[in-house]
Amino acid sequence: MALIATDRLEKKYDVGDSVVHALDGVSLSISAGEFVAVMGPSGSGKSTFMNVAGCLDKPSAGRYFLDGTDVIRMGRDDLARIRNEKIGFVFQGFNLLARTSALENVEVPLLYSTRPVGPKQRRERARLALTILGLDDRRHHHPNQLSGGQQQRVAIARALVNDAPLLLADEPTGNLDTKTSIEIMELFVKLNEEKGITIVLVTHEPDISAYSKRIVRFLDGRIVSDEVNRR
Amino acid sequence: MIHLPSIAKIALRALRVNKMRSALTMLGIIIGVAAVITMLAVGKGASTKLSEQIATVGSNLLIVVPGSTTAGGVRMGYGSYQSLTRADAEAITSEIPSVFLAAPVISGSGQVVFGNANWATAVYGTTQDMLGVRDWTLAAGRNFYDQEIRSAAKVCIVGQTVADNLFGNANPLDQTIRIRKVPFTVVGVLNAKGQSMMGQDQDDIIYVPVTAAERNLFGRRIPGSVHFIMVKATSTDDLGRAEEQIKQLLRQRHRIGPTQEDDFTVRNLTQMLQLTEQASRVMSLLLAAIAGVSLLVGGIGIMNIMLVSVTERTREIGIRMAVGAKTWDIRTQFIIEALILSMIGGLIGIVLGITLAELLSTLAGWSILISVWAIVMSFGFSALVGIFFGFYPAYKASLLDPIDALRHE
Ligand SMILES: Nc1ncnc2c1ncn2[C@@H]1O[C@H](COP(=O)(O)OP(=O)(O)OP(=O)(O)O)[C@@H](O)[C@H]1O
Ligand SMILES: [Mg+2]
Repeated sequence: MALIATDRLEKKYDVGDSVVHALDGVSLSISAGEFVAVMGPSGSGKSTFMNVAGCLDKPSAGRYFLDGTDVIRMGRDDLARIRNEKIGFVFQGFNLLARTSALENVEVPLLYSTRPVGPKQRRERARLALTILGLDDRRHHHPNQLSGGQQQRVAIARALVNDAPLLLADEPTGNLDTKTSIEIMELFVKLNEEKGITIVLVTHEPDISAYSKRIVRFLDGRIVSDEVNRR
Repeated sequence: MIHLPSIAKIALRALRVNKMRSALTMLGIIIGVAAVITMLAVGKGASTKLSEQIATVGSNLLIVVPGSTTAGGVRMGYGSYQSLTRADAEAITSEIPSVFLAAPVISGSGQVVFGNANWATAVYGTTQDMLGVRDWTLAAGRNFYDQEIRSAAKVCIVGQTVADNLFGNANPLDQTIRIRKVPFTVVGVLNAKGQSMMGQDQDDIIYVPVTAAERNLFGRRIPGSVHFIMVKATSTDDLGRAEEQIKQLLRQRHRIGPTQEDDFTVRNLTQMLQLTEQASRVMSLLLAAIAGVSLLVGGIGIMNIMLVSVTERTREIGIRMAVGAKTWDIRTQFIIEALILSMIGGLIGIVLGITLAELLSTLAGWSILISVWAIVMSFGFSALVGIFFGFYPAYKASLLDPIDALRHE
C-alpha cells in the first residue's frame, strides 16, 4: 500500500479577480521506502504540494490518503498528531523559533509528543540529532547567531528528531555549500537505506536530485513527468 | 498533554523578551491586589478595635437619659430635666425580668487631692450595681455595700489612672482622699479598661455612692433625681424587649398620658456601636468594589497584551502547530503566560499592600490586621483573573490555521 496517495489534488487561490491554480489535478502515489525528488520551475506548485502532503494545508479538491487514512476528513488535533509522529518537515524558509537555542528548537516536536518524553530524554535526543548534522558545538546559539546553512541544518535536525517514517524537505540544500549539500544528501541516502525512511524532497539542482531514486517534475500545478532515477 | 515546567519556561522567556511591557501589564493587578490587601488590613483592624471597644464599654447596654429626643425638635439641655430618679433605677432592676442590672448615675467632675498629689477627674455617683452593668472587675478592695449607698457613706472606688496619679506605687486602699475638699475613703481600685470609642481614658474616674454624691458633692434641685440610668439587659436578644419594657414602666411611673411625649429617652449603646460597625462595613464594601474594578481593569490589560502577543507571535504558533502542537497545547501555553503575569503581579501586589498597611499603621497610627486568608484570597483571585482574561487570547491563538500562521509576516 502506498504511503502517500493523492487523487486529483487541486489548490486554488483567489487573488483579486483572478484565480491561481497552484495545484491542478495532482495524482501521485509514493510507497514506503521511496526517495523522491520533486523538481520544476519556480511557481510550479512544489511547495503547495509539499504543504498538502505534510498535512499543513488542505486542498481545494481531490483526495489524499496518508498511510491508508483519509487525511482530508481529519480534525485539527488528529492532523497535529500525524504531523508530530509521522512527518518530519523541512521548510523552505527554515521556520525556526527566534530567541530560542538550536537545541531547544530541535526539542520542540518532542514537547508535543503524544507519548510524553521527559526533559532529560528530550535534551539527549535533540543533541543526538544536532550531532548527526555536525552542529553539536552550536547547540546554544540562537538562529540569528547561525549562518543560513547552519539554520537549515537545525531545521533538518528538528525534522529528524522524532524518528518520523516520512521526511518532507522543501529545498533542504538551498542555502548550503556544495560540500555540506553532499553531506546532507549522503545522510538522507543513509536514512533512506538503513532506516527505511521515506523521503520526498524539492530541489532545483540536478546534482541533488541525482541522489534520489525517482524524479517527479511539476509545471503549472501539474505533474509533467515521473521517472525512475538510476544512481 | 504538554509538560508544565517546559511550558512555564517558554512563557517566562516570552515575558522576559518584553520586560517593560510585562511590568506595565502587571501594574493593574499589582494596584488591585495591593488595594485589596491594604483595605482588608485596615478594615479588619478597625472592626477588631471596635469589637474590643464594645467589650470594654460593656455589652447589652441601654442608657436612659432624661428628656425626649423627639420633643418638637427642641431638646432639653443635659441635666436640666431632672425626671429620672434612683427609685426609677431600682424599679427597672426589680420589675423587668429582661434587665440584669440598672445603675443610676449622678455625674460630675472635681479636683481630687491626696497628700501633695492633685488630680482632676470625673466623679460618678452610683450604686454597687455599676460594676455589674459595665462588666468591670476590681483590681483590689471591694464594691460598695448596700448599707453604704443607703447611708451616703463617704467611700469611693477609683479607676487605674486616678490611682496611679494620686498614689503612685503606694496602696490606695483605706486611704482618705479629698474630692472637692470632702474626705472619702478608698475601698476599691478598678482594673484598667483603656480608651473608649471616643478616645477617652475610661480609667480616669471615681465612683462614689449616689447618695453621697447628691448630699456632699453635686447638689440636686429635686432630691433623688439622677443624670442618667445605665441598664444591662440579660442578653443581646433581650435588648429590644428590655427597651420596650423600660419605656412602659417609666411612662407608668412618671404618669405620662397616652397622648403625651416621654420625658426620657432610652438609648441602645450596642446598637450605636453596631451602627458604627455597619458604616465601616459599608466603607469596606466600597473599597472592595474599587479594588475589584482595578483588578478587572488589570485583567483587561492582560487580555489586551496577550492579544497583541498572539498577533506578534503568529509565526511561532504556526511553527509549533506544524511540528505537532495541538489546540490545548497552544491554549495552555498562552493561558499559563497570562497566569504567570497575573500571579507575579499578585505577589508584588501582596508585598506592596502589606507594606502600605504597615506604613499606615506606623505613620498614621491606624490599627491594621493582615490575615493570611486575605493574602491567600487575593492571590487566588489574581490567578483567576489571569486565567479568565488569558482564555480568549489563548483560544484565538489555538484556532489559527497552521499554514496561514506560518506565512504570517
Ligand atoms: N497564499 C497564496 N496566495 C496566493 N497564491 C499563492 C499562495 N501560495 C502560493 N501561491 C501561488 O501558487 C503557485 C505555486 O506556489 P508554490 O509556492 O507552490 O511554488 P513553488 O513551486 O514552490 O516555487 P519555488 O520553487 O519558487 O518555491 C505560485 O504561482 C504562487 O504564486
Ligand atoms: Mg517552493
